[in-house]
Amino acid sequence: MRAFTALELDALTEAFNLSLGEATAAFSAIVREEIELSVPVVEFVARDELARRLQSGQAGGVEDRLCRINQHFRTGDGFATDALLLFPEQGSLEIVRRMLGEDTSAEHITELEQDALAEIGNIIINSCMSSLADLFGSEIIGSLPSVQSSSVARLLEDKSPDSLILVARIGMSMSAHNLSGFVLFLMDVPSIDHFMAQVSRLFGLPEAPAERS
Amino acid sequence: MKCDSLLADCVDTGLILLDRAGRVRVWNRWIAQRAARPAAGAFALTLAEAFGAHIDPRLALVVREALDFGWSARLSHALHPMPLPLFQPGGDRSERMLQSIDVTPVDTDGQRHCLLQVRDVTETVRREILLKQQARQLRQDLQRLSRAQAELQRSEMRFRELARQAPAGLFEADSEARCIFLNERCEQLVGHKLADIAGKPWLELLPPGEEARVRDSWLLAVRSATRFAEEFRYPHPDGRPLWMRAEAGPLRDEHGHISGFIGTLQDVTEFHERASRNEFRANHDSLTALLNRDRFERHLRAAISGAREVTDRLALLFIDLDDFKQINDTHGHQAGDTVLKVVASRVRRVVRGEDRVARYGGDEFAVLLVDAGDDLTLASIVAKIAHAVALPINLGHCHVRVGCSIGVAVYPDDGADPHSLLIRADQRMYGAKRGEL
Repeated sequence: MRAFTALELDALTEAFNLSLGEATAAFSAIVREEIELSVPVVEFVARDELARRLQSGQAGGVEDRLCRINQHFRTGDGFATDALLLFPEQGSLEIVRRMLGEDTSAEHITELEQDALAEIGNIIINSCMSSLADLFGSEIIGSLPSVQSSSVARLLEDKSPDSLILVARIGMSMSAHNLSGFVLFLMDVPSIDHFMAQVSRLFGLPEAPAERS
Repeated sequence: MKCDSLLADCVDTGLILLDRAGRVRVWNRWIAQRAARPAAGAFALTLAEAFGAHIDPRLALVVREALDFGWSARLSHALHPMPLPLFQPGGDRSERMLQSIDVTPVDTDGQRHCLLQVRDVTETVRREILLKQQARQLRQDLQRLSRAQAELQRSEMRFRELARQAPAGLFEADSEARCIFLNERCEQLVGHKLADIAGKPWLELLPPGEEARVRDSWLLAVRSATRFAEEFRYPHPDGRPLWMRAEAGPLRDEHGHISGFIGTLQDVTEFHERASRNEFRANHDSLTALLNRDRFERHLRAAISGAREVTDRLALLFIDLDDFKQINDTHGHQAGDTVLKVVASRVRRVVRGEDRVARYGGDEFAVLLVDAGDDLTLASIVAKIAHAVALPINLGHCHVRVGCSIGVAVYPDDGADPHSLLIRADQRMYGAKRGEL
């Protein structure tokens, strides 16, 4: 499998940023407040490497929990991906509560807060997906979002160890709050090949010879 | 379709199925009850036609996305409280039902449909509001509690440090006078560690004579819930005889009962000694340490008023040294002082402990015999005094002798009041000097 070129990753980043513009508009309308969403970096990472990176990047240590919003997407012609949005639980709770205008600091996330998180994740993931759908030029059917919260160590346990993950780092800021998270697209090998071919074709970049390992 | 709608009517969720054109295909009973529109009346209508224009615009948007792009979406109650004009069945339709809606694309019969699943979250919202209120209340309670605890800790620390640095002994005792707390100074003062005397009343540390008196005072303070203040002798375990002053105020328990006393303990030994020295000086002659004239006359008055009730005889003796001036002139004042001191101690030794001896002035002495006995006994005492005075007195470089003249007056025989007795004794003393005896 070949690696993405810097140009291709730049093009992907731009595509994500464009579609996140819509998500930003949707959010601002919902909470009637300026919200910024951005994708500074897009890259491909192996599952274990990502887990390692998530662990070492945690300010509060391994004990911190992450909030994971998961949606499954598939196309009619066999492309499938799990889209995951990851946010630190504490920070995302703060944002949700701010959106709801609540001052409580209950330790655990409530059912309604979890629902609100699902919707926020849903908006972000759908808008990212829209840019992929544009790439593929085909319909991508998405499932409803599900919310889980778990420690970093267990976060990707249910995903295949050899899956390659397209990682888009997401920055979200609202008033004084800044939250940094990730949108992950987990794909199996055929899906990745398919995806790469589409990316090369769409951005008009020369298709590199496939290197299978 | 018949079977589908039967199933749809059985679930406790609102189901609306829209076809590719956005027209109602399924409108289950749950929705019909809450939208006040039967399934038959909703069939083939768009959402806007079925509900009017009062739909959350985001719902319209995600329905479009589901139909056009195949996306799913969730409208959470938190961000979209009431997207559809639905009302509690049987309610007054003044307030929309709290809801949360899932929108998913469904492909059936080769056709894209859109399914809306509506949940009633009224109960969930109520529960969470309650939970949050409780959490807030709990947090406030905790904050209050931790503030109070911090204040308590501070005041306890303040008290401990004060107690440690205080120059006075501090103690706390329960109502049975058992010590609960002693500061270091107090432990030094009483010469015992708290651990050694805890559990037994501190009153038991006092000498027997003092214990009963101080105990009465303590019990009175407990009974009347008043301040306790006593001075008492205290034999320190290292042997020093001390005077202590204890002052304490009552402590009350939560029911207002006296639970004990807290107060101070001071070593007032020096104060006592100074006071008794001062008292001695006020009442005694500084040279001979005998009573002075003033004090003697007070004893005399007291003895007479005491004697009126019984039938005792009191004898008043006036003693004047003969030729004392000559000793002074010959041997100097120092010698004169020695003679006065020797005479004083000899007279003192001749009479009994309860009798009073005073230096009345210059070379005059007075004796009060409180139980004079008959004339014979009295005469023998007078003779003993005269004999004792007359013995040689060692001045260091020589011996001198000094005689004395004694005048006696007896109560009640010679007078019923101090004044007449004094005059009588004085007259008889001068008589004796002139050789009238």
